[in-house]
Amino acid sequence: MNNFFQTTIIVGLFASTIRIATPFLFASIGELVTERSGVLNLGIEGILQIGALVGFLITFRTGSHWLGVFGAGFSGIVLGIFMGWMVTTLKLNQTVSGLALNLLAGGIAFYWFRVVFADVGAENLPNLRIFQTARFPILSDIPYIGTIFFRQQWLTYLAFLSVPVVSYFLYRTRVGLQLRCTGENPRAVDMKGLSVAKHQYGALAFGGFMAGVGGSFLTLASSGMFIPEIQAGRGWIAIALVIFGNWIPWRILVVALFFGLIEAVQLTLQALNANVPHQLLLALPYLLTIIALCTAAGRSRSPLHLGLPYKRE
Amino acid sequence: MIRIFGYSLEKKPTTSPIMEFVAVLIALLIAFGVSALLIASAGANVAEAFRSLLRGSFGSRSAIAETIIQGTPLILTGLAVTVAFRGQLWNIGAEGQFFAGAMASYLVATSLPELSRVPMVLTIFLAALIAGGVLGAIPAILKVRFGASEVIVTVMLNFVVLFFLSYLLSGPWQDPMSAFLQTSRITETARVSRIITGTRIHIGIIIALISVVVVWFLLFKTTLGYEIRAYGINPIASKYKGIPPLRTIVLTLAISGAIAALAGAGEVVGLHGRLRLDISTGFGFTGIIVALLGRLHPFLVVAAALFMGALWNGSLAMQITTGVPIALAYVIRGVVLVALLAAETLTHYRIRRVCDE
Repeated sequence: MNNFFQTTIIVGLFASTIRIATPFLFASIGELVTERSGVLNLGIEGILQIGALVGFLITFRTGSHWLGVFGAGFSGIVLGIFMGWMVTTLKLNQTVSGLALNLLAGGIAFYWFRVVFADVGAENLPNLRIFQTARFPILSDIPYIGTIFFRQQWLTYLAFLSVPVVSYFLYRTRVGLQLRCTGENPRAVDMKGLSVAKHQYGALAFGGFMAGVGGSFLTLASSGMFIPEIQAGRGWIAIALVIFGNWIPWRILVVALFFGLIEAVQLTLQALNANVPHQLLLALPYLLTIIALCTAAGRSRSPLHLGLPYKRE
Repeated sequence: MIRIFGYSLEKKPTTSPIMEFVAVLIALLIAFGVSALLIASAGANVAEAFRSLLRGSFGSRSAIAETIIQGTPLILTGLAVTVAFRGQLWNIGAEGQFFAGAMASYLVATSLPELSRVPMVLTIFLAALIAGGVLGAIPAILKVRFGASEVIVTVMLNFVVLFFLSYLLSGPWQDPMSAFLQTSRITETARVSRIITGTRIHIGIIIALISVVVVWFLLFKTTLGYEIRAYGINPIASKYKGIPPLRTIVLTLAISGAIAALAGAGEVVGLHGRLRLDISTGFGFTGIIVALLGRLHPFLVVAAALFMGALWNGSLAMQITTGVPIALAYVIRGVVLVALLAAETLTHYRIRRVCDE
């Protein structure tokens, strides 16, 4: 009996690791592409929140989960392009622009939510049925392995699929090479007669799309409801994961899974009523992010032109 | 170069203060327009909403007093951000530092109850300075020592501080007489509230105004201030000039954190008399907008803080009379910042009459 109980907990732990890693993976793979083009988008946190809200509202109204996901992705593209207007067209300071995008997006999400659900108290917030998990013949029924790997959300498989796809794009395609070059040496791209701005706008739109979809995962595949600040710092952690993963897709996958595991352990300890105050467990991922940043910074190398606006002489 | 009807738009070598003022004005106008749209989209009467916004912020003696009260912590968080941003050090942690100051105040007030008022209050503010300074120094040391981005570290520390506070409030520090997440009231000798009769204006405003002068003096009249600004303009050149980056970064962020912590202490000592999670309405984050709206200048920060304070109180009044959610204040906050940044680029251009060749 005791043994069975332990196995269930461990299987559950690994299954939730993969689930929890999903929004991190969406946001950081998107941010990776953006940063490879030389733009630091600190607005990911805000885009996650807008994605979470837009996905929730669309699904709440139409009943279609996938429509919600696409709506969230589209809202992310809009915000990504808006960021591009600030940093590529107006050439504003990227850090300040990212902060501005966050504050604006957070405000819009909060206001919009309050306007739509004006008369609803905190105790009966609207919720919806979340996405059904995937089922594969035979595979899903394998003991343990089936539960961990083959009964996840479809969005989770998409997030994991994005890693090889983005890796192929960055290292094996012409546009991917140009994009990386934009982040390393935009002058060379410009002198080749290619547009620095187009690459950066494209990268920001993709990063925004991924963060928007990642945000919709929180409401549509995880909690089933929207509350303001539902993303709770995941956007910032995603930016840290890109650094921790040394701007390489598969390494980002590894560190995202590592963070998923930490969160899963934290949740399991809470569920098991461990003798630690749950607020201190909740603080764990944020402390870990700080530690990760400190250990990563010496080893990793960012794109050379990251965060600097490109200006022609 | 764009050229229309004999006029051309060209880049200016320097920016004039008048254009900077125009940029702020444009930003506020855009924010005004966007909020009108949002109010209308919420189904409320725009004119009525703006009337109650104005009435709630400056409409009466007590409204003006409440605007000052709301602006008081914003002056301090705005100053905190100003010091850091002047050195191009992105302290996003003013929210956590605010609460560090508030927690330090509560700790002093409850652990040294025998102190009389003056030493008590002095000890409280000193403790807040130390707590905020230490919290501010952490990201600075991690930045210099390990190259960790201070942006992310300060954001993460906000979460850590808030979770730690909510732990304290739900256990060790919780008011035993209350079911809410709050402490009991601090002793009367640790309170300096209502310094102007008939209003709730408290000691915080004095602390804030002193800090304005101190920060102005620090930034523009001392060597350290020169070093902070030099580092902000060009970190590499300032290093070759012999300005030690470690000392400059740590001092800048420690001072920044200490000032933000004063805001938290002021709210506990002057206004609430106890610790709760909602004693901040996002003062640390609004401080970023206050600092940038105030052109990173201590005196202008006061005006920007009062403006943001008025916006909050006005929105509160608007919510009561028209039902437009107070969240509107957060949207306007964001719109002001984005519009300001965009309008700023205007100050780098001028329109000039040119002769056709």
